Amino acid sequence: MKVSVWRGGAQGEFQSFDVPRHPSQTVLDVVTYIQRALDPTLAYRFACRVGMCGSCAMMVNGVPRWTCRTHVDKVARDEKLEISPLRNLPVIRDLVVDMREFFDKWARAKGEFRGRGTRQDDFERVPPESPSRKLVDAGIECIGCGVCYAACDVVKWNPDYLGPAALNRAWTLVTDVRDRARLERLRAVSGDAGCHACHSHVSCTERCPKHLSPTAGIAGLKRAVAKAVLQGDL
Amino acid sequence: MWIVQRASAAVLAVCVVVHLFTIIYAVRGGLTAAEILERTRGNAAWFAFYSVFVLAVTLHVPIGLRSICAEWLRWHGRSRDFALLLFAGFLGWAGMRAVVGVFA
Repeated sequence: MKVSVWRGGAQGEFQSFDVPRHPSQTVLDVVTYIQRALDPTLAYRFACRVGMCGSCAMMVNGVPRWTCRTHVDKVARDEKLEISPLRNLPVIRDLVVDMREFFDKWARAKGEFRGRGTRQDDFERVPPESPSRKLVDAGIECIGCGVCYAACDVVKWNPDYLGPAALNRAWTLVTDVRDRARLERLRAVSGDAGCHACHSHVSCTERCPKHLSPTAGIAGLKRAVAKAVLQGDL
Repeated sequence: MWIVQRASAAVLAVCVVVHLFTIIYAVRGGLTAAEILERTRGNAAWFAFYSVFVLAVTLHVPIGLRSICAEWLRWHGRSRDFALLLFAGFLGWAGMRAVVGVFA
């Protein structure tokens, strides 16, 4: 199989490798084979190899994917693969991107939980069947792999845009009944760099390996912001 | 601005449908400018309808162009907003000029 792999930083080029095919081979297996058997200088990231950590996300034939959970059989076209670093993030080297901007945007979207309790208080009871808890459940399983961010065209066009993952995180907090920073967070996620920049292309939802829907969360944020404005809270 | 964009889109959805059906209805069997003006001049209801139509366009189009300017042309900031404000003024002026000409 012919495999083209991005080499270098922002300026670089694809390098071609011949990699033997195996049954049930994943794209991460391919990258690991190249590094171990063909070129030990190849830089890439991985940790768990089982779809829990999200660190091995890369562009595979132009689509952002977890390479550990992507079988070559499913994505190879004419026995060819093209593997490059995640889109929309600065390339450090080869297949490794700088994730700082991605996580800084979580902070800018006020992605930290702010409850009212202290350590002396008992746990707040949130019934699992309550509507708000169900909304939180729908978006809470994000592991921050950056696949949605790489899939998003709005991030490409508007580099300040907070992106699907940060906005999805903000949405899970806005819908959390324990949250005490609602208005501050809604202010942080509205405007040209926030939820209102989303064009609902649904690429994030299409590509999310956890099958979450940041698009739905962002639409929820738009509604929540509009409601707060109409009620005079924002 | 987002709320204005959505609200004006809702108004436009109705206006465009009414506008298209009116055209289809009116042109059956041919139409001349004199015939149109004969029917439209002094009609307060259509004057009001098309005034709302023009207002919705004046609000909706520049807000949409604002995003297009930012994302496609990388044009941000006050110069963009000022240019779009002028464009909104032009749309309103040209639209109302037409409405007054046909319905007043």
